[in-house]
Amino acid sequence: MRLRSSRALSPGHVRRAAAVATIAALVAAGGCSPGSPQNSSAPTADTVGPDTGEEIDLLTVALPGSLASLDANTEGGILNYYVASIAQEGLLGVSPDGTLEPALATSWEQPDPSTYVFDLRDDAVFADGTPMGVDDVLFSIEQARDPEVSPGTAGYWPQITSIEQSDTWQITITLAEPNQAFAWVPTAVGALWVTSKAFWEANGGTVGTSDTLVLGTGPYRATAFVPDSYAEFERVDTWWGGVPKVKTIRFEFIPDENTRLLARQAGDVDIALNVPIAQADQWEQTDNTRVVFQPDNSYVGLTFDTTVAPFDDVHVRRAIAHSADRQSMVDGVLQGKGEVATGIATPEQLGSVIPVDEARTRLSELPQVDFDLQAAADELALSSVPDGFTAELKFPNTGPQLGKAALALAQSLGTIGIELTVTEVPIEEWLATLGDGETGLSFMWYFSTTGDPAEVITYLLDDTYGNVASYSDPEVSDLLAQAREATDQKKVVDLILEANALEVDDLAYWPLWWGQSATAISDSIGATGFSPSFLLSVWPARLYAAG
Amino acid sequence: MGRTWRHPVVRFIVRRTAGTVVLLLGLSFIVFALLYLAPGDLTKNLLGNRRVSPEAIAAVREQYHLDDPFFLQYGRWLLAALHGDLGVSIRSGAGVWSMLVDRGGLTMALTMIAFVLAVGIGVPLGFLAARRRNTAVDRGVVGAALVGVSAPSFAVGLLLLYAFAVMLGWFPLYGVGDGLLDRLWHLALPAVALATGLGALVIKMTRTAVLAELEQDYVTFARARGLSGRTVSRLYLTNAAIPIVTSAGLMLAFLFGGTILVEVTFALPGIGLLLSESITFKDVPVVQAVTLLVALVIAGTSLLVDLAYLALDPRVRRTGVGA
Repeated sequence: MRLRSSRALSPGHVRRAAAVATIAALVAAGGCSPGSPQNSSAPTADTVGPDTGEEIDLLTVALPGSLASLDANTEGGILNYYVASIAQEGLLGVSPDGTLEPALATSWEQPDPSTYVFDLRDDAVFADGTPMGVDDVLFSIEQARDPEVSPGTAGYWPQITSIEQSDTWQITITLAEPNQAFAWVPTAVGALWVTSKAFWEANGGTVGTSDTLVLGTGPYRATAFVPDSYAEFERVDTWWGGVPKVKTIRFEFIPDENTRLLARQAGDVDIALNVPIAQADQWEQTDNTRVVFQPDNSYVGLTFDTTVAPFDDVHVRRAIAHSADRQSMVDGVLQGKGEVATGIATPEQLGSVIPVDEARTRLSELPQVDFDLQAAADELALSSVPDGFTAELKFPNTGPQLGKAALALAQSLGTIGIELTVTEVPIEEWLATLGDGETGLSFMWYFSTTGDPAEVITYLLDDTYGNVASYSDPEVSDLLAQAREATDQKKVVDLILEANALEVDDLAYWPLWWGQSATAISDSIGATGFSPSFLLSVWPARLYAAG
Repeated sequence: MGRTWRHPVVRFIVRRTAGTVVLLLGLSFIVFALLYLAPGDLTKNLLGNRRVSPEAIAAVREQYHLDDPFFLQYGRWLLAALHGDLGVSIRSGAGVWSMLVDRGGLTMALTMIAFVLAVGIGVPLGFLAARRRNTAVDRGVVGAALVGVSAPSFAVGLLLLYAFAVMLGWFPLYGVGDGLLDRLWHLALPAVALATGLGALVIKMTRTAVLAELEQDYVTFARARGLSGRTVSRLYLTNAAIPIVTSAGLMLAFLFGGTILVEVTFALPGIGLLLSESITFKDVPVVQAVTLLVALVIAGTSLLVDLAYLALDPRVRRTGVGA
C-alpha cells in the first residue's frame, strides 16, 4: 500500500516530503566531506584563479529537471534555452550586457518600422560538416512559425507579410505591423534555432528526441540524449566564433536537490543551475564551490482577474495589495536574494536600453501601494464585500518560495477578514488557471528571455489577444501600440513605464518581487562576463580552466 | 488437442488471459477518462506561459483533436492502439513504443534486482527468526525489519548515497551507466533502497508463515515419528512457501509500478518518473501506454504466482484453480 500511494506524488511533493531528521543529518555531515577541512569562507564569483589556458576535458552541469526534447521549438522551457544555446544559433544572439549581437547574421537594419534586413554570414557550418545556406535559414523560420511543429515558441512570431532572400547572403522580413522588438524574435533567446533542412527532412520532422538529436551551427554537437537522465555534447572545430576550451559537456538531469548537492560534494558535478535559495548555504560550504547569485529577469506578482467577483472591485484589489508585505517576503522568504518589484518590467530588462541603475530609479518612481493593514481594512470597508470573503491562491510546486509568500499574505489578509487558502499544485495545473476566466486571484511567475524591454508588460497588459487579468484600458493599449511602433528604444521605455503607471490605478497586477537565480560553480572553472543573460548566450565559450 | 484444452491448467490460463484483456480495456478507458477530467490544459502546457495568438491555440487544439467529443477521442486512441500504434509522446515527439522499451527495461531491471535482494535476504532471515523464536536473534531481525518497513525509500536512498557514494566512493551517485556490469553497478544502491522496505516485509511474512506451520500438528507428529530434522524442515517449508510466494509475487508487481521515489533520488530514467511527468502534462499516449504496461506486468505476475501455487500445492492442481 505504501508503494501504491507513493505513485500519486509528484517529484515536487517527494522533495518536500523528505524525512526531516534524515536530511538534517545529511546536511550537517555534508559541510565537511571526508578528508578535507571545513571550508569557512567560500570564494565569490570573481575570486577564482586566472585562466591557465588549459583545455577542460569534461564539464558536468547538473540541471534540476529533465528536458523532454532537445528541440527548443518543441519544448520552450527556460532549461531548454540554456541547453539549446550551445548547439544552435539564431540570426542574432545576446551579449553579456543583455543587448543584441551578431550570430548567424553579421548585421541587421530596420529601414522602416515594419521591415528588417539581415545580412547572413557565409561561413557558418553545421556540426555535421555541411555548410549552412540561406534556404536552411528560411526553412528554419518557416518551421519556427508553425504552431504545430513549434508549439513552444511559435507564439513569439508576429504576423508576417513576407520573408524572402533579398541578396546572395541576405534575407528581408516584412511584418504586417510595425514592431520595434522584432529583432529579438529570430534569436536563440527568442524563437529561432537554425537547423539543417536536409537533417530535418531526413528525420521526417521528428527532431530533438534521443534517436534524432538536434543539428545546429553552434560550437557543440549533440551526441547523446536520454530524457530524465542526461544529454551530452561534443565540441566541433567548425564554429565561426572559434574553438571553446571545454571539449565535452554533459548535462545531468538530477531532480532531487539533495542528490544534486551530494553530487557536488563528491566532485561529480562542476556547475549546478538553479540551486534552491534555501539550500545555498550548504552549497557555499562545499569545498571548492562558489555560488553566484544573479537577477534572472523573473517577475513574480499577483494577478487579479478583473472580471471575476469580488476581484472585479478595485477596492478589493487595493486591500490585498496593501496587505502584501513585500519587503518581508524578499528579506525572509528569499533571504534577500531578490528585489521588491516596483513595476512589471525588471530593471535588467530595461537595462538593454538604459543603464540598469537608471531603470531601477525610474521603476521606483512608479505609483506604489504601501504595506499598510489599516489602509487595507479601510479599502475593504469601501468594497462590495466589506465583511470579507474567502479565496484560494494556487502556487506551482516548482516554486516553494511562492508558497511561503502566499502564506505570509494569507496571514495579513486574515487580520482584515479575508480568508485565503493556499494550495500547492503541479506547475501544469497552475498554468491552466492563468487567464481561465474563473480564477480571480493567481500568481504570475514569468522569466523573460529576450532583452525586449516590453516583453513582460506586453504579455500582461496588451489586450489584443486578451491577457491573464482580462484587463483592458484604451489608454494603456494605445501606449503599448505606440511602443511597438517606436523605433527609438528609449522612447519604448518611456511608453511602457507610462502604461505601467496608468495600470497601477486599476491594479490588475500587483508586482511582488524580481527574482534571482543561484548558480553553483566549481572553483576550477572560471567564467567571464557572468551576467543575467550568461546562460542564454553561447556560454561554454566563456568558460576557462582556473588555476 | 481437445484433451489439452480440457486440461484445468490450460483452461485456467486461457480464462485468465481473456480476463486480462477485458481488464486492460476497462483500465484504458478509465485512465483516459480520468486524464480528460483532471485539471490542466494541454494547450497551455504546449504553448507555455507566454502571449499566444488565438490562431496558435486553435492550431494546437486542432492538431490534437482537443475539441472532439470524448468518446471520439478515446475511440481514435483505441483503434490505433489495437493496430499496435501507441502514437508519439505529445511532450517530446518521441515514439511511445521506444520510450516503453527504454524506460520499462530499466525499471524492470531495477525491480528484479531489488526483488532478488529482498527475497534472497528476507526469506532466510525470516526463517531464522521463526526458528529462533523469542531469542535475541529473533528480536534483532524483527527490529531491523520494523526499521526497514518504516523507512521511506527515498530517505534510505539519500543515506546510502551519502555513505557509499560520497563518503566511501564505492558507487556512483546517479545515472544508469553503459554496458551490463556498469549498469548493475549503477543500479546497486537504488535496488538496495527499493529492496529495504520489501525485504523487511518478506522477513515478517516468512517468519509468520513458518511459525504458523511450526505450530501445526503434522510437524509435531513428524518429529515424534523420528523423522530427520531435514525432512521435517522440507515438509513445513513447502507449506509455508505458498503464502510467501503469493504475497512476494504480488509485491514484485506493485514494486514495478512504484519506483518513482527511488527514481527521483537516483535520477534514473524509469517509468515512474515518466508516468508522473506525463500525467501532469496530460501526455495521453504515454500515460495510457505506461499504465497498461504496469497493469500487464501485474496481471502477468499474478498469473505466474497462481501457477507457482499450482506447482506447490497438489490439492489445488487436482480440484482446479481460481474457481
